[in-house]
Amino acid sequence: MAHSNRSNEVGIPVQWIGQRWRGWVDRRIPRSDAQQFMQRNIFILPTAMGLVFGLLLVVMLLTGINYQNSLIYLMTFLLGVVFVAAMHQTHKNLSGLKLTLVQVGDGHVGERIPFVFRGAADASDAIAIRLSLPESGATLSHVLAHETADLVLMTKGERRGYLLPERVRVETRFPFGLLKAWSWIRPVSAAIVYPKPITPPEGHWLTADDAESSDASVSVAGQDQAEFRPWRQGDLSQRVQWKRYARSGEMVIADWEGEQGSPSWLDFEAFPGVDLELRLSYLVAQVMERSKAQDSFGLRLPGIRIEPDCGPAHTASCLRELAVFGLPTTQWMGSKSRDNAL
Amino acid sequence: MSRLLRRLHGNGSDTDGALAVPGRALLWLIGAFWVLLLPQWDRLPVWLLTTCVLLAGWRWLSQLGRIRLPGRVVRTLIMVALIATYLVTVNGHFTVDTAASFFVIAVALKWLETRSERDYYVLFFILTYLATVNFLFEQGIFWTLLNLAGVLMLLIGLQVLNAPELPHAFALGWRRLGGMFLKSLPIVVLLFLFFPRLEPLWSVPLVSGAAKTGISDSMAPGDISSLAQSSERAFRVSFGGGIPASADRYWRGLILDRFEGERWSQHQRTPVRPPGRVLSDGGVGELQPGEYDVLLDPTGQRWAFALDNSTAVSDNVEAADWGLFHFRRPADTPVRYRLARTSAVPNVSALSETMERRFLQLPPTGNPRARALARELQRQSASSGELVETLLARFRDNPYYYTLRPPVMPENGVDTLLFDAMRGFCAHYAGATTFVLRAAGVPARVVVGYQGGELGAGGDYLIVRQYDAHAWVEAWLPETGWTRIDPTAAIAPSRIQSGLREAVAEEGSFLENNWASPQRYGNLALLQWASLQLDKVNYQWQRWVVGYQGQSQMDLMSRLPGNIGLKDLGYITAGLVAVVLLVIGLVAAWRQRSLLAQDSVMRLLVRWRRELGRAGIPLEEGQTPLQIAERVAHHAPQAGALARSFAQTLNNHYYGGLSPDKPGRRRQTLMRLRRLLVSHKKALKHPGSTKTQG
Repeated sequence: MAHSNRSNEVGIPVQWIGQRWRGWVDRRIPRSDAQQFMQRNIFILPTAMGLVFGLLLVVMLLTGINYQNSLIYLMTFLLGVVFVAAMHQTHKNLSGLKLTLVQVGDGHVGERIPFVFRGAADASDAIAIRLSLPESGATLSHVLAHETADLVLMTKGERRGYLLPERVRVETRFPFGLLKAWSWIRPVSAAIVYPKPITPPEGHWLTADDAESSDASVSVAGQDQAEFRPWRQGDLSQRVQWKRYARSGEMVIADWEGEQGSPSWLDFEAFPGVDLELRLSYLVAQVMERSKAQDSFGLRLPGIRIEPDCGPAHTASCLRELAVFGLPTTQWMGSKSRDNAL
Repeated sequence: MSRLLRRLHGNGSDTDGALAVPGRALLWLIGAFWVLLLPQWDRLPVWLLTTCVLLAGWRWLSQLGRIRLPGRVVRTLIMVALIATYLVTVNGHFTVDTAASFFVIAVALKWLETRSERDYYVLFFILTYLATVNFLFEQGIFWTLLNLAGVLMLLIGLQVLNAPELPHAFALGWRRLGGMFLKSLPIVVLLFLFFPRLEPLWSVPLVSGAAKTGISDSMAPGDISSLAQSSERAFRVSFGGGIPASADRYWRGLILDRFEGERWSQHQRTPVRPPGRVLSDGGVGELQPGEYDVLLDPTGQRWAFALDNSTAVSDNVEAADWGLFHFRRPADTPVRYRLARTSAVPNVSALSETMERRFLQLPPTGNPRARALARELQRQSASSGELVETLLARFRDNPYYYTLRPPVMPENGVDTLLFDAMRGFCAHYAGATTFVLRAAGVPARVVVGYQGGELGAGGDYLIVRQYDAHAWVEAWLPETGWTRIDPTAAIAPSRIQSGLREAVAEEGSFLENNWASPQRYGNLALLQWASLQLDKVNYQWQRWVVGYQGQSQMDLMSRLPGNIGLKDLGYITAGLVAVVLLVIGLVAAWRQRSLLAQDSVMRLLVRWRRELGRAGIPLEEGQTPLQIAERVAHHAPQAGALARSFAQTLNNHYYGGLSPDKPGRRRQTLMRLRRLLVSHKKALKHPGSTKTQG
């Protein structure tokens, strides 16, 4: 999604070949959160070092021929066969590995966002597997035979909304780094990138939020109006009426959450005239501030209304709405990809 | 969770600082460097070896964080200093030897620059080529194994570099590499046998220009007795037919015919030729009776050693004057050549006047007593033959001693030896005899070479060592032509019959300065036996593996059915490579098939989705099994429960954390999924409610 800015200055044939190549690869490797690597979808080529190694073998062979030295012949053949064996080994290393996207991270624009893949190896080890994106660095992990391990890909959230890597390159150069075997996984599940939080300047904004918050402050201050109920698991300790607990030994919660008019609303309309993205950033900052203070709050966006609540899940859903506000659902859904495994 | 991960990975990327090479990988590299340096130890100057130790140590300490790697200025200074020293020591003599030390310098300097993975690979390539160069110098089986061990260490280092934090990388690495080597060994052997051995494409510089232990082209009285302190091997010989008796084993190397008061030298030096292409043809096939194969250790010289009355059989030697042989290219690596003995045909055509003058040459003055003796002998004898006999009788009858500890005879050495000291080594007696004969008008010359040799293990070949070096005399007798005269045989017959050890046993001076030589301890039977067995293994290795070149390959191929030529060998090699690649491809394909069969759970899932599609339940890409189940429950409630438990079982299978490859468990899951799918299909087909086919 995010990397449509592929070099435009490249000549048209190159571009055309690149497109055809990508199209071909995409047909071979459909969008899926799980991918089993096998001969059909593994590519293998020598690395730059592998090419130099090939050159070295030629030089060694020439030395052997010119000095008529059998042992140099022998070593040349040995290293040549080792190179072929390494080809087999490198391929086998990736082949049989299965990657499943098990957790998609979240974060703000500019932060590094993790994609956690679970790798399951078959009877052979998958060593030094490198997950990478064109724009982000690689991590190196090992999955030993018959075991599973989590491989984490960190990618940078460039803009708010869904973050769905076009192709995650899965590569291995084990054992000697002379050959690289690679494939791609094209996940379906997108990460969410929240707008960057920007604290709105104080005092400028006179809105319904203020009107209602004065109302709320009364109700919070006057604890008599609050509903009391017994303590339930998950209640915040600040809400426990400790004085009452000291008197009677009962854990009682002052529950003003359900009350009308008491929560504070965060409103998209609160910042008239401000750019959409900046508004969202303001709202994100406010959501995080409230959430940190463990206040209850609701969120109103054009066409979207999240009832006041508090807690991490609530915060997450508010941030999520802010992240994807005004964006179409993930783009791959429109594309014509074939039936997937999972 | 995401925060934690972020922090972990942030730290991970921060540590990729200046030294990105993992320590253990570096250790393997340094280790391999040392192993590959071992075959060079006696060739490299001490200052270079010391530098290697210091610089590799520096690199290792900096890896540990004890000291820093030098900056650009210090590095440049070190480089300039090393290269200046190198240029001074090399002094314009370019050989492979000096190239090898330049190589070592390059590696030593590279240690200070090994920061990135790329530097590591550069070192890997240089060291691999160093292993190759080592084979030019040393081709014994143990050096070969050592070299291969070095290369193996390099490969392990690469493994560690590519998978740094792998647990038990050591064990895994060895096992994996060992398996790899074992599997590839048969192919390597086949390639070795069938790869066509081409002629050298161009001529190459000499491997070594350094002087080697061995006889040289001039002789002062003390020279050969210093050789007698060395037990290094000079050459080994296999004979077609029987091994000649010890007294007949005179290996003629070169003829010294010019005397300048003290030193004997060649009147005409062996012509020097630029080294041409390497000629490996040392003769092929079974040794015919009378033929013999010599495997000469490198001498760096052009002269070959041969018995009397030999002719050249192999192409790499050519006959020179007076029954001597020269190599077409100096013996800078071990050389095998083949000669044949012919029945002696005495060449009695008279010496030309020039030749006679040459072989009667003496300095105008010096050694007056020896000249007087010569005149007296001349007067007494009727013929040259009688004169020679009288002279030898004089050696036999007077108390002359054969010794490795002769006194110093600075002036008029011949006189001192003959009349005062009466103690000397073969070179003394040979020189003195030639002097007297020439003074008496008998053309004579000194011959240098080896005499004798020890039987190798199994008694089927002969080992000739440096202490077998010998000097004797050839005199021109009108009846028999050039005739061998050995004053040493007259003085110490045991030297000729059973070798130097016996000849100087009384004196106890055999290899007295060479305490490390196994030959010194002749009384330790076990040591002798072991040393000879080792030599035999090495000899076979050198003859059959190292010597497997051009002609011997053709010879082997001619024994195989079919008429295999060089071109056919090319085809065979190409075919071999193709077959190997094909087999690898087939193995991979087979693995893929078994992989597909293995993931039958995945296939069940695909089947499920297909069935749902047929039943008209809309599905989206990327839905999880549970989401799909919910959709089924929505569209076809009668199948909902089944769909949910199917999805749940799937999830347990994939994410349950149980080892998915436990066969019993897998089979159970599979059975359960199949059962569920069948009932599910039935439920879909027979709608119990109205809400289907939406």
